[in-house]
Amino acid sequence: MEELKELKKVEKYADQCMKCGFCAFFCPVYQVERTETSVARGKNYLAKMAIKGEQEFTPEMGEIISKCLLCKRCVANCPSKTEIDRVVIATRAQMVHEKGLGFPKNFVYRKVFANKKAMNRYARLFRKFQWMMPKTEGKVRHLPDFIRSMGKRNFPELADTFLSEQVKPLYKPADGKAPKMRVGYFYGCATDVVFPHLGLKFIDFLTKQGVEVVVPEQNCCGVAVYAAGDLETARVMAEKNIKAFEDVDYVVTACGTCSSTLKDYQKYLPDNEEQKKRFEAFEKKIKDSTEFVTDVLKVDIGGLKLKKEFEGKTATWHDPCHLVRYQNIKNQPRAILKGLKGLNYVEMSNADMCCGMGGTFSVYHYDISKKIADQKMEGIKATNADIVVTACPGCMVNLTDNAVRHEMPQKVYHWLELLE
Amino acid sequence: MIKEPLIDELEKIVGKENVLTSREALRAYSYDGTTSWIHEPDVVVFPTSADQISAIMKMANTEKIPVTPRGGGTNVSGGSVPIQGGIVLCTTRMNRILRIDKENLSCTVEPGVVLLDLRNRLAREGLFFPPDPQSFLGATMGGIIAENAGGPACVKYGVTKQYVLGIEVVLPTGEIVNLGGRTLKNVVGYDLMHIFISSEGTLGVVTKAELKLIPLPQAQKTIMAVYDDAAAAGESVFRVLENGVIPAKIEFVDNWIINRIEEMMSMGLPTDADAILLFQADGSPEAVEKEAQKIVEIATKYGAREAKIAKDQAEADRYWAARAAGFAATFGKTKTVFSEDVTVPRPKMPDLIKKCKELSKKYNVDVVVLGHAGDGNLHPSILTDISNKEHYDRAVKAMEEIIETAVELGGVLSGEHGIGLEKQKFFNKVTDPVVLNMMKGIKALFDPNNIMNPGKIWD
Repeated sequence: MEELKELKKVEKYADQCMKCGFCAFFCPVYQVERTETSVARGKNYLAKMAIKGEQEFTPEMGEIISKCLLCKRCVANCPSKTEIDRVVIATRAQMVHEKGLGFPKNFVYRKVFANKKAMNRYARLFRKFQWMMPKTEGKVRHLPDFIRSMGKRNFPELADTFLSEQVKPLYKPADGKAPKMRVGYFYGCATDVVFPHLGLKFIDFLTKQGVEVVVPEQNCCGVAVYAAGDLETARVMAEKNIKAFEDVDYVVTACGTCSSTLKDYQKYLPDNEEQKKRFEAFEKKIKDSTEFVTDVLKVDIGGLKLKKEFEGKTATWHDPCHLVRYQNIKNQPRAILKGLKGLNYVEMSNADMCCGMGGTFSVYHYDISKKIADQKMEGIKATNADIVVTACPGCMVNLTDNAVRHEMPQKVYHWLELLE
Repeated sequence: MIKEPLIDELEKIVGKENVLTSREALRAYSYDGTTSWIHEPDVVVFPTSADQISAIMKMANTEKIPVTPRGGGTNVSGGSVPIQGGIVLCTTRMNRILRIDKENLSCTVEPGVVLLDLRNRLAREGLFFPPDPQSFLGATMGGIIAENAGGPACVKYGVTKQYVLGIEVVLPTGEIVNLGGRTLKNVVGYDLMHIFISSEGTLGVVTKAELKLIPLPQAQKTIMAVYDDAAAAGESVFRVLENGVIPAKIEFVDNWIINRIEEMMSMGLPTDADAILLFQADGSPEAVEKEAQKIVEIATKYGAREAKIAKDQAEADRYWAARAAGFAATFGKTKTVFSEDVTVPRPKMPDLIKKCKELSKKYNVDVVVLGHAGDGNLHPSILTDISNKEHYDRAVKAMEEIIETAVELGGVLSGEHGIGLEKQKFFNKVTDPVVLNMMKGIKALFDPNNIMNPGKIWD
């Protein structure tokens, strides 16, 4: 059955499930909804029916399959190792294949996300009008009352100057010596338009470590596009990114979602063997900021200087799903935080629990997202930490929204922001 | 099919957000943790109080609509499959722990509380609810009570029925009754509460339960004993008990499963062993130390090639994780698995283990064994493929002989999973007709219109 091409690719993964139902305990969505359709077992069952041609791609099926954060908590704990992430993405891909994306997704994913220049044009347009969004506090704004129907979200404002508007194509090592290695910097959309200072900080950090940094023209990593099932567009984006980073030793990024996405092109996207091989070769070059600093550069963390404002403060770490489960990066960030002189560290009980963002999940299912975040916030509050540290701008946006909503004193930082 | 006005009625009772009718949702409530039973309900409702359940039952009783109660749906008997359609009454949204009474060593829970959530909460108070069905990640208290669930820790601590002090139940006719209470002793008339424990949801819906708790054991040690002959492992179990040591758990894993587990993830199990036993001693630190030594001594005396105490918590955790992966290791390897739940008096265990090996040869099918050896409750699993008729028929014969053997040895058909749909045909075979008639009479008394989880236990 040619028409079930994408789903057929994951049939062997879907067949792994033995319906024990243990996933319920780990699923943040199930914890809120407590229905079988929200949990991996239910979704997998329906996907299997679809593979057999017995389940149509109805709007209800679309709704059910959309209610997955792709946080992979169930995958990490599944006794029969069912990779539901593959099944969910393939099911979404099959639906896109058969029903199309529909407006506005087709426009957003294919015309905006797929083309970085277009995306930044829209971002600049939005920046011109963001004064219309009332300020919540500092650089955080929220929707005005007349469009409150979309929920009272708090979000960081767009930067006055995007990273892509100010970054140079090449940065030599700070000491003027011959570079240790040459890395490509993949900044990612959120760093580009919301947290450009983070990008500059990372570049500065790397050059001080004797690394030459190139910043080529690049595309969005494509996670939102393929997580929505538009594999075709995502493949084109992946190819563009691979081409942009051809002649570097490593591709580094300070965004956990970007690093895992670039690594996982080989897992979710290949259309043929040749493409799979190239995607696999690309994966080997990708390093997240946390692992690059500890595992590749082997930086002496004790020798790094903490910013004065964080002296004596207590930090807690939030594990982005895309680091802890997609890349098994768990110890590296903790080693960094524990190693920074002058900073105290406290572990939160639910550090590896998803923040509730799930990319576009929080757009379509904001109410569920908030309830998931509520649990995260309780975990943060219980630590009495002064600051929450993470390594994913996506999580930073969502944690900030919810910390503000909960009127918590804790501010959210990327670990690089702690450095002098 | 349920008529539209009745769906409206249900929506009025529990609220629109607590009723599911889409085809997709009904499909997601058509199965449980078994592989062979599938049937869709007409509607799924999520009540949030006993009063709502009472209203649902009154309506269903008047209209004669089947009602299948369900929690996490992790059971492995087909018991929560709505085999005659109708209403699935899902209690997962009644998941509050209402009270923890440290002075009375008891707690009050709603039926949708997940066992591991309860255990984690109790541990913070230094308290312990011992029954531990291995589905604790999803199993809910209502189901645990309805199935009288067991688990590894029953060797020392007993099964669910020993930990229920009282229940609030909604009867199939809609009345809400309280049975038992909050006391350890209670002889006020017939003990009706225990009829509901292991009734598999055929007599009513538990809406609240008062559970007996014990203080959380302070220390634990894990011992692994390795055997070149699985039957000798069976013997070690009752020898240990006979010598005055009652470990919290004694688990049995055979060679085939050891190797599948090691293929999945390296856990440091001996792949050349015919079987291993995992013991857990718990209690005060001094007693645990002594018991662990004694277990090593006795196991070695009665045929263990090696017996060792896990040197730290990490090693112990690894062994128990391996044991927990046992079922997955079995189910992941074949299309169809008959997972048996036979239980025999402990001294008969070596005989049952030998028989399983013989049957494996006789019918040329894989019969693999793991289980709660400490209470004689083994889970022999037969691996087959329902689409290969010739193989499947041989597997069925092997299964029938295992059950017959267990009964001949003075054992029972099911130790902890229940009959549900999965074991019905054997139930009819091994149950005294007089006893069966008594059960049917009780059923008719509680549920005159036969609407409560109909089609289960007996045909």
